[in-house]
Amino acid sequence: MRYISELRPVERTLGFVLKAVVLAVFVFPFLWMVSTSLQTFQETLAFPPTWIPAAPQWINFAEAMSAGPFLTYARNSVTVTLSVIALQLIVMIPAAYAFAKYKFAGKKALFAMVLLAFMIPGQVTFIPVYLMLADWGIIDTLLPQIIPFMSSAFGIFLLRQYFMQIPQEIIESARLDNASEFAIIRKIMIPMSMPALATIALFSFVSHWNDYFWPLVMTDSAGVRPLTMGIAVLRETEGISNWHIIMAGNVVLVVPILLVYAIASKHIVKAFVYSGIK
Amino acid sequence: MASIEFVHVTKSFDKHVVIKDLNLKIEDGKFTVLVGPSGCGKTTLMRMIAGLDPQTSGSVLIGGKDVSRVAPGQRGVAMVFQNYAIYPTMSVRENIEFGLKNNKVPKEERTRLVESISATVGLQDYLDRKPATLSGGQRQRVALARAMVKKPSVFLMDEPLSNLDAKLRVQMRVELIEMHKKLGTTFVYVTHDQVEAMSMADTIVLMNQGQIQQEAPPETIYHLPSNLFAAQFIGVPPMNVGDLGEDGVKFGFRPENAVLSAEPGDNHFSVRGIIVTREMLGSETIYQVRSARHSFMVKCTEDLFTVDQEVCLGVKPDKMFFFGADGKRIERDDARFDGYMKALRGLSHE
Amino acid sequence: MNNKPVWEAVRPYVMILPAMGGIILFVIYPVIYLVKLSFYKYNLMNASKSKFIGLDNFKQIFSREDFFSALLNTVLYTVGVVVLTMILSLLIAVWLNRKSRFNAIVQAGIFTPHIISIVSIALVWMWLMEPSHGLLNFLLKAIGLPTSQWLQSSSTAMISVIIVSVWQSIGYYTLIIVAALQSIPPTIYEAAALDNASKFKVFYKITLPLISPQLFFILIIMTIGSFKVFDTVKIMTGGGPNNATTTLVYYIYEFRTNSIGYASATGVVLMAIIALLTFVYFRLLASKVHYQ
Ligand SMILES: Nc1ncnc2c1ncn2[C@@H]1O[C@H](COP(=O)(O)OP(=O)(O)O)[C@@H](O)[C@H]1O
Ligand SMILES: [Mg+2]
Repeated sequence: MRYISELRPVERTLGFVLKAVVLAVFVFPFLWMVSTSLQTFQETLAFPPTWIPAAPQWINFAEAMSAGPFLTYARNSVTVTLSVIALQLIVMIPAAYAFAKYKFAGKKALFAMVLLAFMIPGQVTFIPVYLMLADWGIIDTLLPQIIPFMSSAFGIFLLRQYFMQIPQEIIESARLDNASEFAIIRKIMIPMSMPALATIALFSFVSHWNDYFWPLVMTDSAGVRPLTMGIAVLRETEGISNWHIIMAGNVVLVVPILLVYAIASKHIVKAFVYSGIK
Repeated sequence: MASIEFVHVTKSFDKHVVIKDLNLKIEDGKFTVLVGPSGCGKTTLMRMIAGLDPQTSGSVLIGGKDVSRVAPGQRGVAMVFQNYAIYPTMSVRENIEFGLKNNKVPKEERTRLVESISATVGLQDYLDRKPATLSGGQRQRVALARAMVKKPSVFLMDEPLSNLDAKLRVQMRVELIEMHKKLGTTFVYVTHDQVEAMSMADTIVLMNQGQIQQEAPPETIYHLPSNLFAAQFIGVPPMNVGDLGEDGVKFGFRPENAVLSAEPGDNHFSVRGIIVTREMLGSETIYQVRSARHSFMVKCTEDLFTVDQEVCLGVKPDKMFFFGADGKRIERDDARFDGYMKALRGLSHE
Repeated sequence: MNNKPVWEAVRPYVMILPAMGGIILFVIYPVIYLVKLSFYKYNLMNASKSKFIGLDNFKQIFSREDFFSALLNTVLYTVGVVVLTMILSLLIAVWLNRKSRFNAIVQAGIFTPHIISIVSIALVWMWLMEPSHGLLNFLLKAIGLPTSQWLQSSSTAMISVIIVSVWQSIGYYTLIIVAALQSIPPTIYEAAALDNASKFKVFYKITLPLISPQLFFILIIMTIGSFKVFDTVKIMTGGGPNNATTTLVYYIYEFRTNSIGYASATGVVLMAIIALLTFVYFRLLASKVHYQ
């Protein structure tokens, strides 16, 4: 653009510095978390603050992890997240295909129902869902954190959009090649929709790994709780001012997400942009 | 190999009737071209043969057998789509093999068929490539190979050449004609391009607004168009048409059948006019001549006139056509024919 | 042969059945159940002893001060978050709109908090906002400003929670706005440049109207998202100090075990508010927003 090239070097440098400051505002808290997680208790109290610990205190991590059944928490987080993703994909693929490629009576109304479900938050429905699941006698399992999410409205919506873009002729070719509808989905639709499926899976991963509210209201015992809840109670079990231990636990919770973000940031960003603009 | 028959077939989308009570027989082993303007129902007709969009009423017969309730994959037809519809995530080999696999053809047989077909269409070096890395012409060949390998009894092609550039299109036309000779299968070919229809067809089925206008070999359609629509659809530039001023009848003659001369000749029909445009195409020149009441296109092999020049346009009686008020051509042995010929004489020299 | 068309007719329904089943079972039915519960005094130990009490729960809601205080807190929180996030993310998006490597890095950096669990975010900020050893007060002191009690004083707790929420979500909305900005065809700007329009005028007269559908949509999801705020409050303040940060969902949460009927009635009110907001926004959207 015309005015960009007109900027003088001073203005340019200023802009650069300003952007760096903004970046720091958003990234520094995480660096500070990592730094604190490696400090001694004394260092956390020091004034001025300790920017870089004298000797990294790895023991903080052991300390944090011994505060509760963290292995169980981690296993629960992994199980819940992966099961939700798998279940959602199994449920969503045939539904998205039917909504995208078949004509049937009531299609519009049924799809509107999917979108409506998108608008109703769990914060509204959690009490009746809890009562219902308690009735089924499965509150003390991981299921209450998995099955209520079997239908991902966002996923069905996005995948349907993607399926609709696949030319009808390709599907018709396959029908003329005597492929069953199941074979069409498995051998043509799914391979062609890999980017969308990856986007949806990553979005689910981030949402469910990070979830705090739902496990909080659905679980009654430590054995079925995820990492987020384990970390959140560290302040109670480890003492309010033991920030080095709390931050160590926090690092454990954040690292998997940051790793996935580092590997697939493009897909994740896309997933979130889609979830916003549709 | 099989013939195809439409018996009282009607097709509507929701309330919109696209094809109404159509009867048509496509002969076994022939290269039949469905031609007509965009939106006239050619694709709809073809999709009914394939079973992709079954007819609303009536029946479709393939090889004498009613296939109305047979699934597309079991009708023994293969189809080549305008956009090729190649499976983008499969290699060329997997694309060609897909139908065979679904039909449970054993592996050795499959490999043998794929090898031989890919050699026929010149794809043997590309078998392990993904479609995205192929050119338009190569993709077209993949689509053809995929259709051929199933040994269908009917070959359906919906504007298969329209995505190719002009040169490749001409080359593929020849290859398709040869392929038809070699396979001897029934070919049904859809196009909106009358040149393609004329050059490839054994039989042309000319359609307009869901109705068959004429069904005949190319020469017949050209020399004996059954109605005004056929006369004006086939041929470039289209047939010149003018009002006779009697019974709502129209007369017509083809641009290459008019003769231009500086002085009036002794033609049956002869009018004076001014040349308004001149298109020099190399081997021939096309003039637009405006007379007092009409404007005619004339195709000449010689380039003798210039724009704004006054000329005489003449047509021999045996090159003249008449069409009744209903659009139908009036036969030469029709009682009224001579009367119209006389009336035409009266129009001359205006 | 004959049952094939039958199968083809029911096939779409079979394929959407699991998805629709999930939605009906876990969204639609619970909503109906919620409304039913709101008319009862529910007995958790023995559901058969639950008593239908008509609109009593609702009467109670609208006569209790703590409900109105929670509602007010939620509205304050929502207005604060929506206004700040909207302004800041719009500014940052316009500023970072030009495609360059550094801009992309800054965008990715700003976005990072959005994919981190609110649990982590809350804990990190509690540490930063710690009154005696936290980094924020150190920085304030270092540049000679008065320090703050942040989350521990009822006068600053709400704004502190708002700051954290804004900080977490700015990156997300920046991304969406940048995507919207980049979908504007450059030819429009070139035409404006030829017409010698000022930068401000271009923004106000061209950019803003063109991205207004997306801005409106953002406004809706931001408002609804803010209205159901819970996690931040639960971890950072526990609704305190002195109920200064008790929001609607937190309020429902606190009643969820002992007064299920009352909590459900509050849930119905929350749902009604969300529905009303959505409706109003869509009405406005239909009448105000410019489309390309
Ligand atoms: N799936 C459909 N739904 C509704 N109308 C259709 C559909 N397919 C075709 N039509 C209509 O049928 C008519 C014929 O279409 P088509 O067979 O595609 O024409 P052609 O192939 O000769 O160009 C057109 O008017 C078109 O709008
Ligand atoms: Mg067509």
